[in-house]
Amino acid sequence: MVRVVVGIKWVPNTQAVRFDPKTGTLMREGVPSIINPPDLSAVEFALKIKERYGGEAIAITMAPPSAVKGLEHVLGMGVDRAVLISDRAFAGADTLATSYVLAEAIKKISRDVGKVDLAVFGQETIDSSTAHIPAQTASWLRWPYVYYVTDLEIKDDKVVVSRVLEDRVEKYELELPSVISVFMESIEARDVRLLHKLRAKIEKPIVVWSNKELKLDPRCIGLKGSPTMVSKITWTLEVPRKKIVYKPKDPEDAARWLISMLLKDEKTSKIFKWVVGG
Amino acid sequence: MIKSNTTFPTKFDAIVVGAGPAGAASAYVLSKKGFKVLLVDRSREAGSKELYGGRIYLGPLKEVWPDLDKKAPIHRWIKKERASIMGKDGRIITIEYNAGRRTSFTAYLPELVRWMVSKAEEEGTIFVDEVVVDELLTSDGKVVGIRSGPDEIRSDVVIDAEGVNRLLLEKLGLVSGPRPEELALGIKEVLKVRKNEINAQFNVDDDEGVAWILMGDITLGIPGGGFIYTFNETISIGIVIHMANAIRAAEAGAINHSFELVENLRLHPYFNKLWKSSDVIEYGAHLTIEDGLSFMPKRLVYPGLLIVGDAAGLILNTGYTVRGVDFAVYSGKLAAEAVEKALSEKEGATEENLKVYEDMVRKSFMYNELKRHRASKELMKDPEFFTKISRIPLKFFSELYEIDKEVPTAYEAFKNACRSEDSGPLSLMFKLWGMVKKL
Repeated sequence: MVRVVVGIKWVPNTQAVRFDPKTGTLMREGVPSIINPPDLSAVEFALKIKERYGGEAIAITMAPPSAVKGLEHVLGMGVDRAVLISDRAFAGADTLATSYVLAEAIKKISRDVGKVDLAVFGQETIDSSTAHIPAQTASWLRWPYVYYVTDLEIKDDKVVVSRVLEDRVEKYELELPSVISVFMESIEARDVRLLHKLRAKIEKPIVVWSNKELKLDPRCIGLKGSPTMVSKITWTLEVPRKKIVYKPKDPEDAARWLISMLLKDEKTSKIFKWVVGG
Repeated sequence: MIKSNTTFPTKFDAIVVGAGPAGAASAYVLSKKGFKVLLVDRSREAGSKELYGGRIYLGPLKEVWPDLDKKAPIHRWIKKERASIMGKDGRIITIEYNAGRRTSFTAYLPELVRWMVSKAEEEGTIFVDEVVVDELLTSDGKVVGIRSGPDEIRSDVVIDAEGVNRLLLEKLGLVSGPRPEELALGIKEVLKVRKNEINAQFNVDDDEGVAWILMGDITLGIPGGGFIYTFNETISIGIVIHMANAIRAAEAGAINHSFELVENLRLHPYFNKLWKSSDVIEYGAHLTIEDGLSFMPKRLVYPGLLIVGDAAGLILNTGYTVRGVDFAVYSGKLAAEAVEKALSEKEGATEENLKVYEDMVRKSFMYNELKRHRASKELMKDPEFFTKISRIPLKFFSELYEIDKEVPTAYEAFKNACRSEDSGPLSLMFKLWGMVKKL
């Protein structure tokens, strides 16, 4: 029996976020949030562990109340229950303050529900890509941590994890409990199942924890607990489209036309010549 | 603290498949009457599969939700009705009618459907999204529930609100596959325009909108038409083309890609000033029903099953009026009432007991409308109506108004216009009269 906690992040769909070139800020208005896609791999990974060894999978997220929608999705995939950590006091947190809250929530699950054996995270998030959270959460918990994990095997109170690097696979033996982050795209998330989603809707196995429940030092959470400073954001301006439509006779004609257009433009002709070697 | 696994009931009084206007309405009415209802939809969020970007008639909706006009996310009330006949050379005839009262509105259908589903949930409907129903379960010739992947859920009755793509009904052998003659293709773009710009360009107030239909060259003569509707801060534009004719036109090389027709509309010099500074923020396409009565399944009721909305062929398209959302809602309401009646009988949802739904539909204004406007269907498929007949008035006005020295009499202009289409005034009058009778 293994109790797995899986962390998910409720992020703006970055593909739908537009950029205001005048102010240099993201226009998030009206952009729907989604589950951070790499976290869906982590959920799949957690469910596979649960299926293999028995036990339960618990999803946690620190997010505004709208994240219930995302939690319902992972419950629909087969996660047993979920914790939504939601409080204005947690808002504005950097990765340090966020990981602190997540670690304390995992401790509380261990106290209230039963000992947590594994905490699983996605590799990184699409809205910031720091990959800090699993490592920092492990530090707060003083649990061992391995990233880029593609597989694991539990033996008694130890776990052997495989992690991929570019050119090799490494195996590590860790003490349980431990933290892992799952290699992005190494595993495909399953679809929502009718019975699971129905259970999520009828039983609502989602509990909401504010700082009333977690009782954390206000100096260590939210904006106050976040030493990170963003000194500067730079961006690349969007290149306006030329809006030229050419209707070619055949692929060769299309290629000829495209090359002639690339050579006409000073910038692209440089790149083109560099790519094809003169 | 955290709830753990328990068992939960998986038997419902009614399962509604598809959370569009028809499904949401039937779930809402049934839940309100105290039935245990499961509403299932495949979309990521209620309404997100909706594409319709036109006007919606209030009357039938108010019978289900009396406060809909006050509470629902309505954008603009249609104040101006415009219709344009378009010629090739930039010649356009537009008529405008300024309405005296509010009978229809624009709304983002996804938003409106979300609102409808939330009302059903408030009444106790269990709504499950992100789930595809693979088939309707049957036992002894009666529909007894649904199957999705490995999961089966049972109910006394199933309401099929799956829409124009009737995969479940096809699987049961109750309807045949889609036929191009019965269908049309709708293609839409949503243009983002500032609110005050819309108000100024279309001469309307904040909560007033325009419904504008276009015919003639906008579809390159393919039977169908174009549309322009104003929303809070967007304009939806698009075209609807009759599928069978569109396929023929594509095969003959008359059109390349169907989306080019919408692009032509957006870039058209007569219209593009209305949305000068706009961005295209959305585009999409959807099947719609051209001929409701022939699309309608032989029966709307089978043992344990009722068919509502688009799946039941309840769409009216006369060319100047499109009604689908209100028909869907109204059919959902009728189905719910029939289910209440049937389930109060001892034998339950038998075909005889559910039959009352079919009777109600056939006696309703919807069926009447479909029958009354049936003749216009023929017209809507007739390429001549969209080419020749629309060119004659354009020619007439060009004769009359585009003057160098001499002004023709109106009769002379008319004669010339007819002659340009190889038609005498008298034979044209007969033809027109024949056509007008169908409208």
